[in-house]
Amino acid sequence: MKTKNQLRLIVLILVLLGGGAALYKYFVLGFSFTPDSRVKVWAIETKITFEPNKVDGEKLASVVKLNRAMNVENFSVIEERNIAKNYQFSSDQDKDGTHTLKWINSNTPAETQTIYYRVSAYRTDEDSTITTEAPPNTRALIIFEGADEEAAKIIVDQLKQQYHKKPVEMAKALASMMNIQESDSIRLLLNKSSEYGGIITLTSGLLNQAGIQARTVQALLLEDNARNRKLTTMLQVYKDGDWILLDPKTAQIKNEDDYLLWLVGNESLFEVVGAKRYTSNLTFSTNSSNVLASRASLGAGHKAGAMLIDFSIYSLPIAQQNTFKLLLLIPLGAFVVVVLRNLVGISTSGTFMPILIAMTFLETSLVWGLALFVVVVAVGLVLRSYLSHLNLLLVPRISAVLVFVIIIFVTISVLSIKLGFEAGLQVTIFPMIIISWTIERMSVLWEEEGPRDVFVQGGGSLFTAVIVYFVMSNPWLGHITYSFPELLLVLLATIILIGSYSGYRLSELRRFEPMTRED
Amino acid sequence: MFRLTTPSKLRKRGIIGMNHRNVVCIAQNNPRKLYPMVDNKLITKKLCKEAGIAAPKLIGTVKTQSNVRELEEFLKDDQAFVIKPAKGSGGKGILVITGRDGKNFLKPSGAVVTPADIRNHASSTISGLFSLGGAHDVAMIEELVEFDNAFDGFSYQGVPDIRIILYHGYPVMAMTRLSTKDSDGKANLHQGAVGLGIDITTGKALRAVQHGQMITHHPDTGKDLNTFAVPQWLDFITLASQCYDMTGLGYLGADVVLDAKKGPLILELNARPGLAIQMANGMGMKTRFDLVEKQLDTERNFQERVEFSMKHFGQ
Repeated sequence: MKTKNQLRLIVLILVLLGGGAALYKYFVLGFSFTPDSRVKVWAIETKITFEPNKVDGEKLASVVKLNRAMNVENFSVIEERNIAKNYQFSSDQDKDGTHTLKWINSNTPAETQTIYYRVSAYRTDEDSTITTEAPPNTRALIIFEGADEEAAKIIVDQLKQQYHKKPVEMAKALASMMNIQESDSIRLLLNKSSEYGGIITLTSGLLNQAGIQARTVQALLLEDNARNRKLTTMLQVYKDGDWILLDPKTAQIKNEDDYLLWLVGNESLFEVVGAKRYTSNLTFSTNSSNVLASRASLGAGHKAGAMLIDFSIYSLPIAQQNTFKLLLLIPLGAFVVVVLRNLVGISTSGTFMPILIAMTFLETSLVWGLALFVVVVAVGLVLRSYLSHLNLLLVPRISAVLVFVIIIFVTISVLSIKLGFEAGLQVTIFPMIIISWTIERMSVLWEEEGPRDVFVQGGGSLFTAVIVYFVMSNPWLGHITYSFPELLLVLLATIILIGSYSGYRLSELRRFEPMTRED
Repeated sequence: MFRLTTPSKLRKRGIIGMNHRNVVCIAQNNPRKLYPMVDNKLITKKLCKEAGIAAPKLIGTVKTQSNVRELEEFLKDDQAFVIKPAKGSGGKGILVITGRDGKNFLKPSGAVVTPADIRNHASSTISGLFSLGGAHDVAMIEELVEFDNAFDGFSYQGVPDIRIILYHGYPVMAMTRLSTKDSDGKANLHQGAVGLGIDITTGKALRAVQHGQMITHHPDTGKDLNTFAVPQWLDFITLASQCYDMTGLGYLGADVVLDAKKGPLILELNARPGLAIQMANGMGMKTRFDLVEKQLDTERNFQERVEFSMKHFGQ
């Protein structure tokens, strides 16, 4: 019985540690147990990489300059952090109000340099409409010459006629005309768009010709879980004291709150001195989390995190944080498998296969995932049945099945493209090795125990996968695991407890039922 | 049709569930290091020989591909034998030869097996075709059991063996699995073979169960299952009980067959015996296990243990 007490002690410690930390975070640090009712804090991370243009034996001083986002004033910054080893960081403000961030390293080593700059901020005034006052249109108009001038004039006249004093409608109309290359004059200009600084600048120039104040901006879409993003160039049109944001690709008005506007015009956003040509690169990652409003402002005031936050997932670069969002869900899947196998008594083919299948369902959507899985496994079983006659050794046999699986993937992908339903393409997300093993195991099972067992196990696996899918795709559970990773310890304690459970399984209440009949 | 019982009812009957079997019976009584003794049939056979426990005689082993080439010469005088993988499971890879036709061999069905077929089979066995996970294996050649006709008509195909569960060397429960047409000739209960419980005291049939339902006659042969009785029953359980001293496994299943001339022989041992035996006996094992656990302080040899079991575990 000594091991039993030891087990209880471990479970108790795990529950106290995990539960205690979670409660502390909830009551003291202001983390929320529910995903929605709180302030949305955006973590925006810029990552600059470049190859230093280093000559052996010579010192290289490199300077990295980055413009700070322009509508950042609407945000309240909780935390600003830059991860750049051996770089001196400074931040300047120009006369015209643009912030420039600067990193200097007077002795840059030869290897690839990476500079992270991260801002955690939340929107202070969500309904703020007075984002920017109307500046005089100082931007130089595009000067069209020759045939272009004629073409521009045709377009502008047409626009003026149709959309007099309706700047937004005019911009939308022009954007869609550009998209579908409506007329000869538009095609003529589009062919030369690079001379005018790109299609969007061209659009803005044409609008200017038509007497509309328009400009291009470089904006970052604020999205949860976004990695390695670039800025998108968008169009702004001035109307009644406000700049309206337009997506030129769809010709739709966009909510400015969904974007972080970085820069007006086409200028370069960042500049690296001392890099090899074409090696410097800038990407963005964005992510959001929900924090109690009062606590967020507290954080904004102090900017100093408590230990629990400093040593938590939140201290990782955002790209890694996003990976962890999925990773942290896997224990939940394992927990479901443990419950279904040891408490309910469902038999599955392969212990953790259902988790991997469920993760695939997360990408494909449930119905398509199920359909594709059944098709792949069924076709695989038919092909595999032929291999049985050949009496192959294990490893070559599995490898042959793997080849079959790849062929099935290719066939399904090609067929689905030809037939015009793109969901079939998602077949490639399925874990090939796991599918191969599943087919192999089921095929052996079919030979040894008959089709009934294959359906019982296959059905059990799919049922488990569906339950795991619902658990892993639940937004509330996702929020809890991500915001309170310490609750993993509580989950671990529960798994340990189930591991030592020696009572009956639900299925056994059925299995042994005939024995309790005669009374 | 779908009826559930309650845990308290099962507990009252001392029925052991899968979790209890794994967490208590196996984990606490069967140290993992002892498993190879039963999982590798070659080791089991050697141990049986050393301990003087009757088992089908080992004619030879095929361990390398060069052994495979010598096989024909080696088997030239043998009329009947069985080739099986040492680490096989579920009856896979067992080739039974019952006679000769010149150079060729004959299966029980009369089908001809050429020496090349035999070599192929042995070669596949040692390269792991039949073992779990494809691990390298050894092909064992053992003499064919001359089955006694005591069990004729009780099985649709093949000859039944007797499964005896030992708890710390005490025979606790016994049963036999009778194949049916439904089970495709296999002695697998959940595929529809008949499970027939055997009284520990008398060696006679207790009751028979197919698909969880009680039956009185064999569904295919029509034989009255109540007439099933194991001859030389005392020898059977004594032999099984000795296996505990040989392996030290506290929770052990012994499969015993009856040879017409040599009497009961140990065919196979199992360190993870299943729970269906409870259904065939119509009662749980837990109460009997509890009684055995109370005896653990008393030193008993295998004969005394058998005596104890026959006295207490009859129905």
